[in-house]
Amino acid sequence: MIAIEDLRKIYRMGNVEVRALDGVTLDIEKGEFLGIMGPSGSGKTTLLHMLGLLDEPTSGRIVVDGIDVGILNDYERTMFRLYKLGYVFQDYALVPDLTVMENISVPAMLRKDRTEEQYRRDSHEILQKTGLWDRRDHLPRELSGGQQQRVSIARAIVNKPDILFADEPCANLDTENSRMVLDLFREINEEMKQTIVMVSHEDWHKDYFHRIIHLQDGKVVSDGKNGTKQS
Amino acid sequence: MGKKELKVAFLLALRSLQRGGRSSVILTILIIGMCFTNMIFLPSLFNGIEQSITKQLVDYEVGNVLVSPKSGDQYVTDLDATLSLINGMPGVERATPHYTEGATFTYRKRVLGVSVRAIMPDDEKYVSPLYTKMIAGSYLGESDTGEIIIGKPVAGDPTIREEDEFQPSLGGVRVGDSVTVAYANGYTRDYRVKGIYSTGWSQADSAAYVSWTDMQQVIGQPLDKAHDITVKAKPGYSETFVKNELIQYGVADKVQTTGDLLSKVLGTAFQSFAIINMVSLIVSIIITTVVLFIVITIKTLNSRRQIGILKAIGVDKEVIMHNYGFQVIILAIFGIILGIIVTLLLAVYMSIHPVTTPAWSATLYLTPMDLLMNSLILFAAAIVAGYVPAYQVSREDIQTAMRA
Repeated sequence: MIAIEDLRKIYRMGNVEVRALDGVTLDIEKGEFLGIMGPSGSGKTTLLHMLGLLDEPTSGRIVVDGIDVGILNDYERTMFRLYKLGYVFQDYALVPDLTVMENISVPAMLRKDRTEEQYRRDSHEILQKTGLWDRRDHLPRELSGGQQQRVSIARAIVNKPDILFADEPCANLDTENSRMVLDLFREINEEMKQTIVMVSHEDWHKDYFHRIIHLQDGKVVSDGKNGTKQS
Repeated sequence: MGKKELKVAFLLALRSLQRGGRSSVILTILIIGMCFTNMIFLPSLFNGIEQSITKQLVDYEVGNVLVSPKSGDQYVTDLDATLSLINGMPGVERATPHYTEGATFTYRKRVLGVSVRAIMPDDEKYVSPLYTKMIAGSYLGESDTGEIIIGKPVAGDPTIREEDEFQPSLGGVRVGDSVTVAYANGYTRDYRVKGIYSTGWSQADSAAYVSWTDMQQVIGQPLDKAHDITVKAKPGYSETFVKNELIQYGVADKVQTTGDLLSKVLGTAFQSFAIINMVSLIVSIIITTVVLFIVITIKTLNSRRQIGILKAIGVDKEVIMHNYGFQVIILAIFGIILGIIVTLLLAVYMSIHPVTTPAWSATLYLTPMDLLMNSLILFAAAIVAGYVPAYQVSREDIQTAMRA
């Protein structure tokens, strides 16, 4: 599904060169629930942003579903994100002036292959699935952190993306809400065969992942269930 | 940009205005409304002054076309023939002559120099609304002799002391009173004041009118000459048409339209008005553009992370740009509507309480075209002011925006 070859991202801070990613090579299979773990500054979020087309690598190649995303122009990358990818951010990143229903519907409204009836039905289904139907007319500020993150997940999957990216989605949540969010991810992964790539630094999240990649200093230091397979 | 993208951009814009900072929305609309009012108020007032001066000049001084003596002559001579000729021309409603004599008025202990204008009262009604401006007594009759009508400032106010008067008067003449008039040619007679008028035009109000018949007695011979003839055009006929007709028909005197006279007499003043109008317009547009630019720039800077998120989830930069564009359009529409309402209310107020000076009185002169043009100019300025920062921020890369 995703093939990454020798991915590098180098930032320059004055005369200092920071290698955020230093030659990452790996494949991600369809339907996998992949965890990316590692200490702070290891390059987890940078890798997620590269995979999610939110940033461009200094060198290397990313192929998603046979498409080399490095050759896409700005508009094509935007459309690729809209049609094929979904995102859940650490701080929920909802539009504060839109209701739950509107937040979820925005990406679906933009797709040219969806009629109004279809995206309304999809939004309705997702809200039912995430337990937010009763909150559909509320604004984000009227919801708890856990509810907001569920809205963020609902928005990410309403377009039925090929890959769902989650960047430390439980970082701002307590254990109970974190478990609720992770259970939802597991459910989506199992029922919809949804490929999920999630960044986390919590050890107990490992139970949910099919496969875990450990990064350190921008390099993959282990790859496998519970990080057993050494790279 | 397809329909769906525009729909999402509009939804984002509408919700931002509905659920974002309400006070900033109201203040922005208020600023646009005030800028619109500022843009249109001064030019409308100047237009009102121009219109008022023009109308009063036409009504009380020159008509639509003025026939005055040739260069070197003091009078329009052969008056009867000239009047018959002009009155018979196509496009001429009526021509009426004026003859003016300087005189000294004496009433009780007050003495005042006043111009006495001789008119043909019935013909004058076709050319001037003087007969509708009587505030006491009545208008002149065609064969009145020994009777005079005087302007309100000439009559004066008995409650105001002489030293407190804005301009000298006869100190409170009333209808029926007798005023002694000594003409420059030495003829003196007592007149009964038949009426007092107030036109709002200082030159007319500072004068007095007698009938043509009466003036013939004053000069002691038939009066077949005039200082000028004012010509009223029939509805649908232009001043220039009438002027050209007069010249073609052989009127040998100087023939000028109101436009000709205005460009000579008040051309510089009207040009100054036009310059002030232009400065006022440009300043208002700059203020509106800068204010909207600042408002939208602050909005976009405060929403940079949100813009980054929207781009991340697949919202195209054009949608984001149009989101802010629509916000400006909505703000501009409401601002312009508010501006139109305020301007119309001011126009109503000023029609009840006009700006009055001793020389003229004026109201706001507004046309639908003025409102439309100013609305379009302000609207265009608002769009430029809104789209520039929106364009800039929508092109920022996702990482930079999300880190904001």
